[in-house]
Amino acid sequence: MDKKKQMVEIWGDVVEIKSLIIAIIVSIVSTMGFYAIAPSDDKTKQLFFGLIGAVIGFTISAIFIKPKRIIVIEEKIEE
Amino acid sequence: MDTTIIIQMILMSLIAVFIYTFIGFIPGTDETSVLMPITLAVILAGTPPVVILSFFIAAIVTLNLVNAIPTALVGLPGGVMSSPMMEHSLYLKEKGLSALVIRKMAVGSLIGTIISIPISLILSGILAPFGAKIKIIAPLLFFIGAIFLSLIGKNKTLSLFSIIPMAILFMGLRHLYWGIGIVPEGTNITTSFFLGITIGPLIVSLFNLLNKKNRSIVTTKDKKEISIPSNSRVSKTLNPFKILSEEEIKSSIIGALVANFLFVLSPVGLTILFGESLSNRIKDPTKKATTAITTMSALAQSTYLSGIIIPLIAIGIPLSPTAIGPGGALFNAPPVFSLENNIHHLLSKGEFVAAILIGSLIAVSITYYITNRFASSISAFVLKKIPHEAILGIFISLIFLLAYMDAGLINIFGVLLIGLTCGSLNKMGVNYGIQFMTLYAAPFIIEKIILF
Repeated sequence: MDKKKQMVEIWGDVVEIKSLIIAIIVSIVSTMGFYAIAPSDDKTKQLFFGLIGAVIGFTISAIFIKPKRIIVIEEKIEE
Repeated sequence: MDTTIIIQMILMSLIAVFIYTFIGFIPGTDETSVLMPITLAVILAGTPPVVILSFFIAAIVTLNLVNAIPTALVGLPGGVMSSPMMEHSLYLKEKGLSALVIRKMAVGSLIGTIISIPISLILSGILAPFGAKIKIIAPLLFFIGAIFLSLIGKNKTLSLFSIIPMAILFMGLRHLYWGIGIVPEGTNITTSFFLGITIGPLIVSLFNLLNKKNRSIVTTKDKKEISIPSNSRVSKTLNPFKILSEEEIKSSIIGALVANFLFVLSPVGLTILFGESLSNRIKDPTKKATTAITTMSALAQSTYLSGIIIPLIAIGIPLSPTAIGPGGALFNAPPVFSLENNIHHLLSKGEFVAAILIGSLIAVSITYYITNRFASSISAFVLKKIPHEAILGIFISLIFLLAYMDAGLINIFGVLLIGLTCGSLNKMGVNYGIQFMTLYAAPFIIEKIILF
């Protein structure tokens, strides 16, 4: 099987292993990177920077990785 | 209280509703891991205590309702609290009743909020004089809680046997950190251990992927197909009494009422216990499922609200799973809050009532309207735009961040160890409630066990 396109079901949804590894690495690097540039004597700023980094990592992953879901909108009329 | 503070309270409640409406729609996001870090950041930023409380109350009310929506809409639980609804939701979704279910959830959550706020305020008033005494026996109560939750759970013996080994794991790590001097002796690391438990099952699943044989079991060739019912034709009524049957109203009121008195027990446990037992007497399978869903939705609100309000007002230490977990930062967020100086000590009775009312009323009214009107469109947006990979990524990076902030690099691996152990136990059948109770009872258990 083509290892790069391997998809697995985890935590109730389908992910591609390669994308998952990339997302995890991007998120950790971005989170810990922002944490590292925060002033080291200020715990509040460290947490804030870390959270901002996490959100940025999340955004980058969300832009570059496509969800492995097929969405069907049911146009059924309910009572 | 002056006007600026009230405006701030309203503003922060609106922000909470906005943030948690989106987070709630993301499938699988755990309550603790999404509530705790953001609340902690709000606290550390120097926000006034009364504003923090409005923010938090608005956040939990929003999240509890919105988390339930994906179960009905797409068949994925929005969070831990909505997992008990899955079976009933899926049954109703297959019958094409998703839109109806969402409206019933919204009303259930409205009932739960309206019932549990006055009741938990009254209960706090009654319990307050005993607060100091309860505080002394708190460790014993956590231990009894762990045993009790084991006994009412499905895997009694397994759960009972797992309590002491888990306590040794937690205390073992703490003593190691004290021993090597990375944290001062006596400082109990809790936040990151808590998240380790929460993320445990995911860590175990991820580690399983590293084993080739196990990976092939979960490998799939197909994308996940999700159907979203369009809600364009849903009837326009917002009148709660027209949406629920008398039976459903009765069950949700009873459930929400009783849950308040049991605020020290696990919210998920209570939701399953009362949700199932109140709906079990109904014969018709569809009515049974809708009653279960409505009642569980009311229970989600009442267990969380009583679990945070009563310990905050009456006791001042986190003596309920909600207070320990999602609300942990309201009790202990060094250097702003400590167990001796937190929201319990800083707010007057009037400020408590004002913060709770503003937060909950803003959240419940906005989410009630949004879920009735826009559930399908928000859900479609989230599912089309947000990849599961990014969600897992942000979870893991949050654990990294908080573990590192608690006790450095070694703690990242310590939390990993906790995740692997507790996650495996979780998959075997030891539920979260028991594990959280054990985490808090751990110092007591170790202190007593060495006496024998």
